[in-house]
Amino acid sequence: MYLFLYLPLVVVVAYSFNQSRLGAEWTGFTLHWYQVLFADAEMMRAAWNSLVIGLVASVSATVFGTLAGLALHKFRLRLLPVLIVTPLAIPDILWGVSLLVFFVLLNLTLGMLSVILAHVAFCISYVAVVIRARLSGMDESLVEAARDLGATAWGSFRFVTLPLMAPGIIAGALLAFTMSIDDFVITFFTAGVGTTTLPLKIYTMIKVTVTPEINAVSTLLMVLTMLLVLAIARLSPQIPSGKP
Amino acid sequence: MSAPTKVILLAMLALFSCAATAADVLRIYNWNNYIAPETLERFETECKCRVSYDTYGSNEELLAKIAAGATGYDLLVPTGNAVESLIKQHALLPLDKRKLPNLGNIGAAYLDRFFDPGNVYSVPYAYTVTLIGYNEQKLHQLGIPTNTWAAIFEPRYLRKLKGRVTVLDDPRELMAAALLYLGYSVNDPNETHWREAAGVIMRAKKYWAAFNNTSYIRLIAAGDIWLAQGYSNDFFQAGLEARKAGKNFTIGSVIPEQGAVLSLDSMVIPRHAPRPDLAYRFVNFMLAGSNSAELTNLIGSGNPNVAALPYIKPAIAATAAIFPDRQTLARLEQLRDLTRRQRQLLNRLWTEIKLY
Amino acid sequence: MRRLLVWPPQAYLIAFFLVPTLIMVASSFAWPGEEGGLSSFWVRDAQGIHFDLTFDNYRDIFTSRLFLVLFARSLGYAGLTTASCLLAAYPLALVIARSAGKYRNLLLLMVIVPFWTNFLIRIYALMIILGPQAALARILNALLDWVGLTPVSLLFSPFAVLVGMVYIYLPFMVLPLYANLEKHDPDLLDAARDLGAGSWQRFWRITFPLSLPGVMAGSALVFIPALGAFAVPDILGGTRGIMIGNVIKMQFLEARDWPFGSALSIMLTLLALVVTGLAAWLARRKVGAGV
Repeated sequence: MYLFLYLPLVVVVAYSFNQSRLGAEWTGFTLHWYQVLFADAEMMRAAWNSLVIGLVASVSATVFGTLAGLALHKFRLRLLPVLIVTPLAIPDILWGVSLLVFFVLLNLTLGMLSVILAHVAFCISYVAVVIRARLSGMDESLVEAARDLGATAWGSFRFVTLPLMAPGIIAGALLAFTMSIDDFVITFFTAGVGTTTLPLKIYTMIKVTVTPEINAVSTLLMVLTMLLVLAIARLSPQIPSGKP
Repeated sequence: MSAPTKVILLAMLALFSCAATAADVLRIYNWNNYIAPETLERFETECKCRVSYDTYGSNEELLAKIAAGATGYDLLVPTGNAVESLIKQHALLPLDKRKLPNLGNIGAAYLDRFFDPGNVYSVPYAYTVTLIGYNEQKLHQLGIPTNTWAAIFEPRYLRKLKGRVTVLDDPRELMAAALLYLGYSVNDPNETHWREAAGVIMRAKKYWAAFNNTSYIRLIAAGDIWLAQGYSNDFFQAGLEARKAGKNFTIGSVIPEQGAVLSLDSMVIPRHAPRPDLAYRFVNFMLAGSNSAELTNLIGSGNPNVAALPYIKPAIAATAAIFPDRQTLARLEQLRDLTRRQRQLLNRLWTEIKLY
Repeated sequence: MRRLLVWPPQAYLIAFFLVPTLIMVASSFAWPGEEGGLSSFWVRDAQGIHFDLTFDNYRDIFTSRLFLVLFARSLGYAGLTTASCLLAAYPLALVIARSAGKYRNLLLLMVIVPFWTNFLIRIYALMIILGPQAALARILNALLDWVGLTPVSLLFSPFAVLVGMVYIYLPFMVLPLYANLEKHDPDLLDAARDLGAGSWQRFWRITFPLSLPGVMAGSALVFIPALGAFAVPDILGGTRGIMIGNVIKMQFLEARDWPFGSALSIMLTLLALVVTGLAAWLARRKVGAGV
């Protein structure tokens, strides 16, 4: 399974060192595309924008989504379930266009803020669905026991419910980040002057050939995230898990 | 507050503030990679301003974004038919020609076109021709003529090329090619002729490998496909690539005898541009031959600027598919913007074409 | 408590989802503007202001066989994608959930990291892997040749679309499954083993039923977006790859007919909600109220 996941990435990395401009054929090893990349301020800025938007949006969406997931688990609601599920189904392009029309009506200047607002909106549902799947069938007696032992509402939430949810929160946040960093359609419509993200850069390369510079920036990001992941895994104390 | 949160907040602050404080910024909204980096840098030094360069991938994306009300850009570079639509929407600023002394550099063949009579709103930037690119050895070996759209549409040729042909994934471009093949104009308004063209496409479709806008360049340079409908600058790139990879074939491209589509991209200034003054300076700057030539040298695009010719690499200037002679030029047509009714019909035909 | 949980996400989604999309829902009853965009919902004349609306967009959808075929095809692909993702993701999620604590988060991250590389870049890489010059196609065609069949093209085929879709949507199945499987109590399985249940029986009788909420969540997160997919079929589908998502995108771009695009979008959304609602109801009925 990991092979299926990583095989295309091996190709991406390999072609970032390929001399061929079109990537049609292996023509020899080069570091040329990394030089091009480091000289390309626009591309670096786009990668940076993507990271900032991804981080801010996924953290905010995780907060909103966790609340929503808890609410869906605890109460019988009418409106919220509809508001959580429908965004998954609505075509991106409709949502992107309508957000743009909406922001223009509000007279909001398009930029980082409008993109982040939009990203949080489409990430909430994914987090909420994962959290709900985590909580469903969860043993409520633990919370009751804590309350019986004199824990406050906040205390039982902080020390019982939250640790129980932790793997769900992590999984949800990862999904949200994945959605945000890869979105093109909604970002295209809500982006303003200077808010070009990496996907915008890449998708608009249609008229002009996609060069291996893109592979280089992808490889760099991949290495960066891998290092980050390894560092977190090594340094942080065990991330709380649901199991005792 | 933890350290990482602080870093993120500071970074965000820095981002927002630098976007807000830079006083002299020209905001260009253009195709990706559609300007040489050195040209951009030189302009920034010359006008002592910063350029923000955002990109779109198609005219339709640009039009949708403008129609929804997006503003804030100082300069757009749409293709002729999109310029026509923007003019109809009263979205553009009429140009003050006194601020564009270099306008005389543009060749007469590219001025005063139907989409903007008298060039009230637009100044030509670069062009490309939609034509046929092919693997010269393979097509010669199979005995298939290459100077006609028949190579793409006639089953008797396609039978020998099954699965080795791609066409553009663009309803306007493909229909235009089919109309030309049938002997009509690319802007023929007759619905019966459109249906006839759709029929030609349906009949040929089963022999094609794909509708493709992006990867045919790579596929043809690798030898995976032998014949493609595509853009002149892309085939130029594919040819260079195949030679560099030491392939035992060469890639040719030709403007078919029935004619072809010329897509002329023009610089326009939106009516509500925040800094038209900088936009004017940029337009005039790009009209200088040496600046304009850099784009052609970078991607092999066609150049409407006569003063640019001396600066263009000889290999590009000698390519007939990029710089056609006068007779060939007369056979090229630009696409007109469609009416609402025509768009609906084309959309319906295209859905049918791609469904079965 | 209740208000604190419900209102922040609810208010946010009302502001940035419900209100904007309702503008477009309303527009699905309007006429398209001559140059695209939205035309006015009402006209003002001597008699005052009156609404200028139409049901034409919906009538067009229901009277044309074209769109029914498209919806059916999208349903088929989305269903196949969901099933394949489930088959591929379940063992993976189970392995991760059951691995020792210190490896668990690492393995989980290893699943998600590939998806932080841009979608288009991954699809292009997949194109190279499926391409006629790559090992995969060569081996397959050598085999086919050996058996006496004609060689096939892997790229630009329904098979390529399916592989692409599974590759893109896999994490949306793995993560909810993992979040659910991770909380299962190993004692239950031990008890079953002590009672003489085989490993297969333990899976079907205990693990799988308990994981159904995860399966449902993952299936929803794959099926619903896959129903509206357009980029994968566009790039990998060859000449017959069109789905309803492509046609919707076309209305907003090439056709500049936003009202019709909105009407199609609403039908697609309703279809997705009805199918998932039905599936959830069936699952609940089969397993009983416990899940």
